[in-house]
Amino acid sequence: MKRVIALLATVVMMVSVSAQAAGKLVVGGKGYTEQLIMSSMTAQYLAGLGYDVDQRDGMGSTVLRTAQLNGQIDLYWEYTGTGLVTFNKVVEKLTPEETYLRVKALDEKVGLIWLNPSQANNTYALAMRKDFAKEKGIESITDMMDWLQSEDGKDAQMASNVEFSARPDGLKSLLEAYEFDMPRRNLRKMNSGLVYQALAQEVVDVTMVFATDGRVKAFGFYVLKDDRQHFPNYALTPVVRTDALDTNPELANQLNKLSALMNDETMSTLNALVDVDGLSIERVSRQFLEQNGLL
Amino acid sequence: MKSINLSPYFNALLLVTVFLLGIWVQSSGFVEQFVYYWDEILYLSGHHIKLTLISGSIAILIGVPVGIILSRPSCRKAADVVMQIFNIGTTVPTLAVLALSMSFLGIGDKPAIFALAFASVLPILRNTYTGLLSVPAHLKEAATGIGLTPIQQLVKVELPNAMYVIMAGIRTAFAINIGTVPLAFQIGGTGLGELIFAGIDLYDTPMMLAGAIPTAVLALIMDMVLGVVTFLIVSKGVNPNRK
Repeated sequence: MKRVIALLATVVMMVSVSAQAAGKLVVGGKGYTEQLIMSSMTAQYLAGLGYDVDQRDGMGSTVLRTAQLNGQIDLYWEYTGTGLVTFNKVVEKLTPEETYLRVKALDEKVGLIWLNPSQANNTYALAMRKDFAKEKGIESITDMMDWLQSEDGKDAQMASNVEFSARPDGLKSLLEAYEFDMPRRNLRKMNSGLVYQALAQEVVDVTMVFATDGRVKAFGFYVLKDDRQHFPNYALTPVVRTDALDTNPELANQLNKLSALMNDETMSTLNALVDVDGLSIERVSRQFLEQNGLL
Repeated sequence: MKSINLSPYFNALLLVTVFLLGIWVQSSGFVEQFVYYWDEILYLSGHHIKLTLISGSIAILIGVPVGIILSRPSCRKAADVVMQIFNIGTTVPTLAVLALSMSFLGIGDKPAIFALAFASVLPILRNTYTGLLSVPAHLKEAATGIGLTPIQQLVKVELPNAMYVIMAGIRTAFAINIGTVPLAFQIGGTGLGELIFAGIDLYDTPMMLAGAIPTAVLALIMDMVLGVVTFLIVSKGVNPNRK
């Protein structure tokens, strides 16, 4: 009996060996294309460098953050604005540089290190169909909100993904910044991937988009000017648990190499290859690594 | 009017629901949370019921007539084949039906209504068909004997006798339907699924429950209402609840 218990204990221990064993890394990611590309790319890149990599993606921001704090995820790509506003509840208006430094300092206290930020700023934006916006004479978010309050636009629909509609730096604060109390019937929540289709198929007239999403350009959407500069900076940055960096001294430099390659143009091109041309995420990220000599 | 005999299943469900409600109210700050989502719940419930009623009505309008036609003696041969096809139709998972209907109807409520109607047709059709077939032969003979035309026989004898079974099919269909509406969120349909999936996505349990519990309650209310309707429209003589 004792032997059985000992055996069981050993098995349990083996199963629950934490992700931080030297050379073993768990790469996380959220559930939309850009994040899936980044987590796939990072996993392939690190595996190529000889790490034992486990990939887990498809989670919402909050779930992913919780998993990282619990040590179930070692690293993933987060956005500076999300880290600052959603996770640390800082609502001051800061420059991109200040945003990064502030979130880096705050997260260091909970054992997470923000490495070098990339040049890819995947901010939220509002978009409309180009011809439709022109026809209504809408150029900025203020124009759009005015139109929603006019007779012509009062039944218009605006699409948003669920996360944006619930986040502290999301729809609510946008409406506050633009001093508009939008009626509930104007809002339609759906999955992130559907909002572009919804706008293209004229199910809605305005939608929340990610600035670096390839479909914005591909579908010929017009991105409304954020005339009150409401949206913070969302620089895509690798965030790693301190203990993972301690056990793998090379890791920070290796990830910074990848971070240095990313910018708005690169990111929307990669996103478009998946969302518009229908290539697989794994293939797009592998090709990118090969082109840049990282694989 | 005698009291309505609610099925024991319903009572058990009610007990479980009340019990869960109790647990839920106990849990921290639950009532405030619920109040916080109240407007959202009302708005989405309205949409939810609308989707169910529209798609359910379409399913009744298709299922009942087709069931009647298949149960006519002239269609006996074809009936087996048609029922088989419909049976195979139900084995397709609802989410797959939603995905398929999205691919040719776009996103939003339209494909959702189509897929929900598709999923609700079979129980209605099957019960209409079997209900009409199981009308005792001596009743039909008597009806023919007193000189009723086939149409009169259907309306005056067969349908009233089969009505209880038909209504049971409709009840089943609506229960499935109301429980499936949340899935329609995945293709841009509006319903309580919004709160459920958002809650899962954001790791926000109260939000998830604010969607899940009203969905369960709606299903119970719908079943009760249809139970009362059944009680009222099934003729006294053949209503098992009135004996």
